[in-house]
Amino acid sequence: MTSRSSTVKLKPTVWDGVIAAAVIAIAVIVAVVFYGNKTYSGELRVVVSVGNRVVDTLPLSDEEATHTYCHNGYTLLVSMDGSGVRVEQSDCPSQDCVHTGTITRAGQSIVCLPAQIVVHLEGASEDAPDVIVG
Amino acid sequence: MLLSLTACAEKSASTNLFAMDTYMSLTAYGSNAQTALTDASRRINELERMLSRTVAQSDVSKLNESRRAAVSDETATLLGDALQYAAKTDGAFDVTIAPIVNAWGITSDTPRVPDSDEIAALLTHVGSSHVHLDGNAVTLDEGCAIDLGGIAKGYASDCVASIFADYGITSGCVSLGGNVYVCGNKPDGDKWLVAIQDPQGDDYAAMVALSDAFAVTSGGYQRYFTAEDGTVYQHIIDPKTGYPVQSDLLSVTVIADNGTMADAYSTALYVMGERGAIDFWRANADRFDVVMITTDGRLLYTPNLQDQITEPEGTTYDFQVIDR
Repeated sequence: MTSRSSTVKLKPTVWDGVIAAAVIAIAVIVAVVFYGNKTYSGELRVVVSVGNRVVDTLPLSDEEATHTYCHNGYTLLVSMDGSGVRVEQSDCPSQDCVHTGTITRAGQSIVCLPAQIVVHLEGASEDAPDVIVG
Repeated sequence: MLLSLTACAEKSASTNLFAMDTYMSLTAYGSNAQTALTDASRRINELERMLSRTVAQSDVSKLNESRRAAVSDETATLLGDALQYAAKTDGAFDVTIAPIVNAWGITSDTPRVPDSDEIAALLTHVGSSHVHLDGNAVTLDEGCAIDLGGIAKGYASDCVASIFADYGITSGCVSLGGNVYVCGNKPDGDKWLVAIQDPQGDDYAAMVALSDAFAVTSGGYQRYFTAEDGTVYQHIIDPKTGYPVQSDLLSVTVIADNGTMADAYSTALYVMGERGAIDFWRANADRFDVVMITTDGRLLYTPNLQDQITEPEGTTYDFQVIDR
């Protein structure tokens, strides 16, 4: 059996360069849209809802700070230290919100049912869960 | 490429509500998302009015007060299911524990430690044999009371799943307190990442990738009270002893295709403890999967989850597969 082969030499044209530049430009735009946003939203934010209404959105990167929230006749002292947030004190009967301890990861929440106050950590990152059970 | 990326941006809607003694978050994707969530919220509130022990005119309140009542079809069916779960778990899940839960009052404004005589007396009223269900007519023996709280949120999640199906929702994520339902996959096609809370720390104990599934966790690590002598009493009562469960488990997460069952079994397996829970799973392995965290630092999971479970970086738990 015999075989034949031929070699064709191709020279790049101006249009090849235009197409290559367009592909690179699209790749850069997509990278900026996705990875750029991810970096921005990766910062954790403390979102406080009182009676189902968001009353505060605070960056967790703040220095040590305490905030007081009152609703349904109960008062909660919420403290954050830059790495996490917790309900430091509450005069609610069950103390479930205090028992929850410090939350540090996106998606975690502290819920005080009697006061109807929710402290939630937001901020997307690649390893953040969609929902937490427990 | 840009066109396909634009197509990924599906319409979504979210809602939060306080109901059934917990905080709920619901998210759905698709053109009917908002309508589906409005219906789901309405349905959850309707179930609370029907099933809650703390709503005066609910079926459960009327039954507990007069010991005899004609309840709705739905309450009768759910009570029937609860009695079946009690039988299957040999009473580890039992809705007639209500009088003892009342006596302890662990999640109430006035928790206390009942004395042993009081508990012994109340235990005589605990057990499915004290509930007589005949169609919609329910009768309770003297001293007996029921609490559907251990199953109602699971049932509510089943109802939400049904509403999602009616509206053609194929992607959604629902958290009714400790009861999670994930509908289909995420809009980007990936499975939903469900994190199991670490009962001993601030982080997650494990992540499980799920689609079209219900996940329910039971444990005593968040709801408890500390008595005057410093003893900590957690809120899940063992129906056989009348005392808060002394478990070798910190938490049990049941994953299944039925929210009501997952709710009932998560409590039951926590009450059973490691040995009993594993035996029960082996006898019902085709019905559900489970993740259990033990007091001695092991995280046990069933073989079906092997490709879905992820260990968090730096975890201190020893991950082990449960043998069939």
